[in-house]
Amino acid sequence: MRTRIALSLTAALAIAAAPTAAGAQRLSGERPSAGSVEEGFWTASDKAERAARTSAELNTDPALNAYVRGVACKVAVEYCGDVRVYVLDRPFFNATMAPNGYTEVWSGLMLRASNEAELAFTLSHEVTHFERNHFLEAWNAEKNRQNAMLALSVGIAVLGATAAVNSGSAEAARSIMDATGNLIDVVYLAGMTAFFRFSRENEAEADALGVRRMAAAGYDPRAAATIWTAVRDETASSQFERTRKSEGRLNVFATHPLTRDRIASLEARAASLGAGGDDGRARYRAAIRPHLSAWLRDDLRRRDYGQTLFLLNRLAVGGEDLGVLEFYRGEAFRLRRQDGDLHLAEEAYAAASAWPDAPPQAFRELGELRRKRGDVAGARVAFETYLARAPQAEDAWLVQDSLQSMGNPT
Amino acid sequence: MIRLFAAALACVLLAGCTTTNSRVNTQAAAVRPAAGTRIVLMTPDVDLGLLTAAGMTEPRADWSRAARDNLASQIETAVKARQHAYSTANPDDAMTGRVGQLLRLNSTVGASIMTFGYTNALPTKKGSFDWTLGEGAQALSTAYDADYALFFTGRGTYASEGRVATAVGLALLGVSVPLGQQVVYASLIDLRTGKVVWFNVAVAGPSDDMRKSEGAAGLVAAVFKDIPL
Repeated sequence: MRTRIALSLTAALAIAAAPTAAGAQRLSGERPSAGSVEEGFWTASDKAERAARTSAELNTDPALNAYVRGVACKVAVEYCGDVRVYVLDRPFFNATMAPNGYTEVWSGLMLRASNEAELAFTLSHEVTHFERNHFLEAWNAEKNRQNAMLALSVGIAVLGATAAVNSGSAEAARSIMDATGNLIDVVYLAGMTAFFRFSRENEAEADALGVRRMAAAGYDPRAAATIWTAVRDETASSQFERTRKSEGRLNVFATHPLTRDRIASLEARAASLGAGGDDGRARYRAAIRPHLSAWLRDDLRRRDYGQTLFLLNRLAVGGEDLGVLEFYRGEAFRLRRQDGDLHLAEEAYAAASAWPDAPPQAFRELGELRRKRGDVAGARVAFETYLARAPQAEDAWLVQDSLQSMGNPT
Repeated sequence: MIRLFAAALACVLLAGCTTTNSRVNTQAAAVRPAAGTRIVLMTPDVDLGLLTAAGMTEPRADWSRAARDNLASQIETAVKARQHAYSTANPDDAMTGRVGQLLRLNSTVGASIMTFGYTNALPTKKGSFDWTLGEGAQALSTAYDADYALFFTGRGTYASEGRVATAVGLALLGVSVPLGQQVVYASLIDLRTGKVVWFNVAVAGPSDDMRKSEGAAGLVAAVFKDIPL
């Protein structure tokens, strides 16, 4: 009996591990035929896209959206007309391209790319999934895997596992009304989750063709490895042990295992294509600059200060936007509340205050920390600067009260 | 052998007719709209899929489309037979602004009624049915020039041949495998008060296949059995 179980297990694993055929290349402007599986996924994607258009998370800045669309078109080339990009304000590293061309780029990715070439690589990677119809392949692979699992469980049932019999009857006995609750939107959800499960082979292909695609568009192919390296290193600096151990699964859907091999292979590919090309660093920074503050505030809501501090260091490398970056460094320390963090926070706020782009709040926080430390004169200067810079602030009366309670300077 | 008969009996019992379960608003002053009331019939929101052998759901746009069109035409026929002025509208055309927000609110309220209005009833909802979109629903009344709106939602799966074969095979072993199931629900909203005056949910029987015109007719007739129109 044990042999038979082992045999059916092997069979199931063989099916699951069978390499999927390379995806057929799609033609630009191609639409799926009526009644096909693909059409079903397109319709589900159309629905998701309609919802995204009215989502509160949709970033509506026309300049930013036009910029990201421009980069997408530059790498999508023949598929430019098929791809519709939406920037969503979500503080996680993710970009997806649905089979109908509906593409999401999340602000967490925008914040982590350090130049246009890195964004171009992530989009090239997604365009390759789109071009090679990977979602359909992933779906078929999942279907085969599930069917194999079923065959396996049938095998167990034959061997007389009574538990399965009982749970089967319980299943049937569920009341009709109970079942209805679970059916709501099952089609939609099942469709969408299938997109996020590409196989390792699909990912490797998307990397390989993605690097080639970005290089062909004139970008420096070395950016492919640098963005994943940054993601891996950010994961390693996480506050949480569980995240650190996940080896680069910053992506909320956890579909992109970032092994050392993968980064090495991206580096090798870039080397074979030859260095050079544009990295568009200044253009990129100019495009995201208006959103830095809001996105960093979102990032702090993840409460992973180790990662946020890593991110801030990476953003500060070129010495730009230091007023904003130092302020959020201060915020990260203030919210982290470990030993010595208040001191680090005060230092960061003070550093921020030296730059013209420091948000007014930097002075309020600086004043507060100085007051706590007993530096009345320093606190007074900071609070007064805050009031001068943000006279209409909702909490101006609070700060005025703090000033009064500290008494007049002697 | 006894087990085999039990499985066969279960098959017969499960293959019953369309089952419905309706609710009427317990807070509304009057449930039944007066004759001549203007009613807007919203294009049904239908998502159907194929249930694979192992139980995954593969969306089928062609089925969803056919069912939506069949249901829309049967709903119109059914309402035409009553004493009300009606119009039709597609909610997908108006997903922006205030109207779009209200339509999405309606979807959420419908899903909540399905989840919390029946078996998993919230303590505050036991013995009462007082769901409402709020008075803001008047914006829908203005937008659609109507007093009431009738929404129809359908979700479900049809078993693939592989699934049926699996079910038959496993039934012989005494294991019951759920086949595809389709659920539709309809709600009638008083757009002047926002109240959900009537709500009905149906589990389609095998003869009421909404992908076909006759099936949709049977299903709509079952759902509208006690509609206050």
